[in-house]
Amino acid sequence: MLSFSRRMFLQTTASGFGYLAFAGLATQAAERATNPLSPKPTHFPARAKRVIFLCMEGGPSHVDTFDYKPRLAKDDGRPIGKGRVPFAKLLASPWKFKQHGSSGLWISELFPEVAKQADQLCLLHGMHTDLPNHPQAFQQMHTGSFQFRRPSLGAWTLYGLGTENDQLPGFVTISPPNQNGGPVNYGSAFLPAIYQGTRIGSIGRSLREASVSNLKNPRSSTKAQRAQLDLLQAMNRAALERDRVNPAIEGVIESYELAFRMQGELPEVLNLDKESATTRKLYGVGEDGMDNFARQCLMARRLVEAGVRFVEICQGGWDHHRNLQETLTRSARSVDRPIAGLLTDLKSRGLLDDTLVIWGGEFGRTPYAQLSDGRDHNNKGYTLWMAGGGVKGGLSYGKTDDHGYEAVDGKIHIHDWHATILHLLGLDHEKLTFRHAGRDFRLTDVKGHVVREILA
Amino acid sequence: MLRFFSVFLLAVLLLMSSYSAGQDGPKDKKADPERLFRLIDRDNDGKLSREEFERFTSSAPLLKGKGKGKENPKLRGLAFDRLDTDRDGFLSVEEFKPFGAQRPGMGKFKFNKEKTDPKQEATAEQPATAEGIAFFEKKIRPVLIAECFHCHSSEKGNKIRGGLTLDTREGLRKGGDSGPAVVPGRPDRSLLIKAIRHVDEKLAMPPKKKLDDNIVRDFEQWVRMGAPDPRDGAKIARAEIDIEKGREHWAFQPVGKPKMPTVKNTDWPRTEVDRFILATLEAKGLSPVEDADRRTWIRRVTFDLLGLPPSVQEVEAFVNDRSEKAYERVVDRLLESPHFGERFGRHWLDVARYAETSGKTVNLNYPHAWRYRDWVIAAFNKDKPYDQFVREQIAGDLLPAASAQQRAENQIATGFLAIGPKAHNERNRLQFEMDVVDEQIDTTTQAILGLTVSCARCHDHKFDPIPQRDYYAMAGIFRATQTCYGTIPIIQNVHPSPLLPLSEDSGQPAGREKLSARERESIVNQLDRLKQRQEELRKEGNLFGSNQGVFLNIQIQTLRGRLDSYDADGNPKLLAMGVREKSFRGANVVFQRGEIDKPGEVVPRGFVQVLTREPVSITRGSGRLELADWLTAPDNPLTARVMVNRVWSWLFGHGLVGSPDNFGTTGQTPTHPELLDHLATTFVEQGWSVKKLVRYLVLSRTYQLASTHSDTCYEVDPENTLLWRMSKRRLEAEAIRDAILAVSGELELTPPVGSEIGRLGEGFSNAFGRLGPIENRVRYRSVYLPVARDLTMDALALFDFADPNVVVGERATTSVPSQSLYLLNNPFVIRSAETMARRLLARPGDDHERIELLYQRCLSRKPTEKEQQLANEFLRSYPKVLEQDGVPRLRQRQVTWTALCQAMLGSAEFLYRN
Repeated sequence: MLSFSRRMFLQTTASGFGYLAFAGLATQAAERATNPLSPKPTHFPARAKRVIFLCMEGGPSHVDTFDYKPRLAKDDGRPIGKGRVPFAKLLASPWKFKQHGSSGLWISELFPEVAKQADQLCLLHGMHTDLPNHPQAFQQMHTGSFQFRRPSLGAWTLYGLGTENDQLPGFVTISPPNQNGGPVNYGSAFLPAIYQGTRIGSIGRSLREASVSNLKNPRSSTKAQRAQLDLLQAMNRAALERDRVNPAIEGVIESYELAFRMQGELPEVLNLDKESATTRKLYGVGEDGMDNFARQCLMARRLVEAGVRFVEICQGGWDHHRNLQETLTRSARSVDRPIAGLLTDLKSRGLLDDTLVIWGGEFGRTPYAQLSDGRDHNNKGYTLWMAGGGVKGGLSYGKTDDHGYEAVDGKIHIHDWHATILHLLGLDHEKLTFRHAGRDFRLTDVKGHVVREILA
Repeated sequence: MLRFFSVFLLAVLLLMSSYSAGQDGPKDKKADPERLFRLIDRDNDGKLSREEFERFTSSAPLLKGKGKGKENPKLRGLAFDRLDTDRDGFLSVEEFKPFGAQRPGMGKFKFNKEKTDPKQEATAEQPATAEGIAFFEKKIRPVLIAECFHCHSSEKGNKIRGGLTLDTREGLRKGGDSGPAVVPGRPDRSLLIKAIRHVDEKLAMPPKKKLDDNIVRDFEQWVRMGAPDPRDGAKIARAEIDIEKGREHWAFQPVGKPKMPTVKNTDWPRTEVDRFILATLEAKGLSPVEDADRRTWIRRVTFDLLGLPPSVQEVEAFVNDRSEKAYERVVDRLLESPHFGERFGRHWLDVARYAETSGKTVNLNYPHAWRYRDWVIAAFNKDKPYDQFVREQIAGDLLPAASAQQRAENQIATGFLAIGPKAHNERNRLQFEMDVVDEQIDTTTQAILGLTVSCARCHDHKFDPIPQRDYYAMAGIFRATQTCYGTIPIIQNVHPSPLLPLSEDSGQPAGREKLSARERESIVNQLDRLKQRQEELRKEGNLFGSNQGVFLNIQIQTLRGRLDSYDADGNPKLLAMGVREKSFRGANVVFQRGEIDKPGEVVPRGFVQVLTREPVSITRGSGRLELADWLTAPDNPLTARVMVNRVWSWLFGHGLVGSPDNFGTTGQTPTHPELLDHLATTFVEQGWSVKKLVRYLVLSRTYQLASTHSDTCYEVDPENTLLWRMSKRRLEAEAIRDAILAVSGELELTPPVGSEIGRLGEGFSNAFGRLGPIENRVRYRSVYLPVARDLTMDALALFDFADPNVVVGERATTSVPSQSLYLLNNPFVIRSAETMARRLLARPGDDHERIELLYQRCLSRKPTEKEQQLANEFLRSYPKVLEQDGVPRLRQRQVTWTALCQAMLGSAEFLYRN
């Protein structure tokens, strides 16, 4: 329905080429009314209004971080005795676990700062996904499917809710990886292109240099640019009118409008210099080994604060097959304080109540060793966590077996995880559909159960 | 970790001393290797892993090197390798005996000469005697299958009782929850024997019946023999891949010569391609849309074949050419153009993950990579037969060459194998080697076969019938190959390699200026100064570890590298990236779970079994020549299919197989399997000519279809996989930049020689980053812009340039505001629009004609009356806005035209080819 009315609008304004007559406020107001990014009613009251997804690409080890397995320490060196490689030797976590907060959540010494936020965290120990391969698992985490190109979680969210600030993109992804599906992970597939994530920077490049480039015209005034853009859009509408149906041109038209509006506000939002030294320090901006992710976290807060619906930020390098002790320490350190800073900051600004923060990678790692100091991929059981908007804090939900190899209790498949996230946002995953190729598509396909036990 | 280590060692030493002190009798004088074995066997699995052995020996004085008494890990590794006569990566008691028989800490370690018989070493894989194996097969295996597998086999995939699997050798020796099932040579210590004797009620197995006494005796004897077991440890706990069954997958079937389908609308098809397409459409009750008009078609075919817009003259000539051959004439002209190779070459460079830096952890320059780029472009221009194209990239160095020039080209072609991403700071040489080999296997098999063979590095392929053995069979070929990628020995780069020197009469361009005597002198002086400073630091004791020391070293090595790249007269050396033969003496082993310290069985070099009917034998050299032959053999079911699908996808926007780099079982099935085979057959019959294939495809009626909408068809097939119309496509990043340059009259069509990265020379790629936005400064075609991994230029990255870290058969097409921002605000776009406006204004004639020309140049058509009116209105109204902004009246006309031209460059119609 939505795309139909939008199409009608985009075409009718074009007829007669009265762009001058329509130019200015009338056009823009009319356009806003049919703007696909306008806020939309939820299916039921929402517990969270926005999402920050802290994506840990590579698959962080759950048994060394958030899934405490005392038996693993006891059975160090013994064969695991099940799974694909039953003779593989269990490897005790080299890190100590302690209980934290009044909830007493077990968290390892790798996350000393996040541990202080234990009472905000809802640890999901029963996660599992279909395949232990990066590209498939990463895409499944982001789109629900690893076989077909499907809209990403952020795109579905934006499609379902619209955004609160039409001067900014509704879905921003910071430093996403080029691999493991690349743009598919923030793509819109068959949803209108406007729901795609806007990328800032890319993985492996320092965020200090990355920004959305070309945010300012070196010559024209805003008014002159608007006049030029009106001409350009009139040409685009003429092309659309000729084609009758052309989602690509619709995407181009909308993308220009958003781009034009972004020039006003985005440079301001992305400018971290606006933050006080105390805040920057809270996140670890400028600190060795964590500056990059600290900037991402701070930028994420500024973006959601400004009304962006879905922000994904990404830290790669969690694929610790070797040198676990050294590299996992480094990875954890790179995100620990920034994440803790983000949670603290959101809370102090009163944003945590309706901002859903989700943390995790595409899968976990095996409790048994790869080489002597490393762990392999494990899709059968791992931990993701949530905090804020509508989830119970200080909760440890579900569990894996004694060694952390597979989920045995409170199992949550990626589809369930998706369903739960949408639920928290006030969306029924079975009702959030888009008609394409003759059928209604959902993020959760024909699966997914909301994990009600974790709802606050 | 360290503390843990020393405690453990202490324990071992204490145990050992108590053992020597506490023993009485004649045994006292001799070591008991079995006892020692059990002590070292930390996990009691009845065999010593390399790790266990090294833990022990790292304290044993006899394996400490002589000299200064320093530890010699290499020697330890060597000792393990020599003891491990069956190469299973573990020491059995028998293998350990020659070592353990020595009194710890005393005497020189002697190897059993018989055990290291070179013949046996070479073939290895002889874990037990033939009699032993025969005994196992006759007496043991049948009992295991009949009596035990029900609960102790992993094949069923359900729950394994007691954690014990008996269907593999590994499982037997490892045992289950209660410990090792079998201790070779020691029936009394073997739990399996205890269990079948039914002496312990809790352990009695099989639980409901005691086995016949004869059988129990057989088992005891078998354990006494050392429990010979020919089953391969690497294939543990997993159903063996059934190769024959695997062949049933459509893509592994021989390419057929399908019958032409019958169609109802016999008037429509022009070529066989059209009949296949129409037959499928008709089966769905659909019919194709109308044909495209001539202007749309010539713009389409020119972009598709050259990556450039047609000139106004070319369009008008075609529109007015009423001869029957008009279409063919255009296609033949385009195929003859040198820009065809630039366009199709770039497609191949996507597949070949072409880049000029290493990417990964330390991004180092590959200053000679551009020769491969130019070779690819030339190959497409020459219409080098595709089978030859592949052969040269895999084994060009081994192919006969008629001239020095051809020889050099063949060498450069092998750059395909050398330009991949590499982690140059990987310290372990074997790990680095295996990672390079892995990248080569990955790219080769994906690019040419559409198979992800490298998924079988750590285990059998999870989805395709590719056992891990096949991976290592191929790995053996690349391990006997030296990869020449250059680089200089600076910090973080552990393994620089030589490059391939090209002969002086190869006719290859240098790509760099001569180094003048003055420049040389300046570099030498600079080097002297730096070395002096280095010497000072050394004296201060600050050379190592200090930032300054590190920085000095980088400067010195970079300058040295620069000097080394010229000969004594200052002429640039002619060098190329590529590969050559290398003698590989080690055994070609499978690395269990991909781990380099877990060598497993030895495998002969070879190819992917599921694609191989006849067993191959590689007797001489690395086997790359055989690999090249095998890849391009007429009966290889994939090579031709994969390439015709790529070409199809490059022309139509998506492949007949939607996953062009994956024809395996997780890939997509072809929408038109028979058409795919028809094209593959035709391709091979026509001598693997890419140009003939392209010509055939673009002259089809299917390619000529309009890109218009049809409600009926859209309802059924919105993605247009059935080809009821031509899919509109956004231009690729390069085509956008080239088209902007072309229509503004700025495009430099003469290819530049060499590359910006080539001129920077060896060193860290950050030097490249400092060059700034080159893409905005130079005016040559985008295919010649430098490509640095992870440092893709904005203008390209924004429009979905292929990630050069991986094989990219089809690029993504995103539509995001950052692209709009680029087109609205980027200085390059504005400057191009300005140039275009200036040129238009300099022409005689009125604005009406100028607007007409603008449309013709940019969209290959004339504006409609409404569009004329729209532009004219803009020309009248925009100066009023400028007036308010204070733009001087004299400049208003130029600025207005610039804005108009820029709007054109940003319009959807300009950015798409219909």
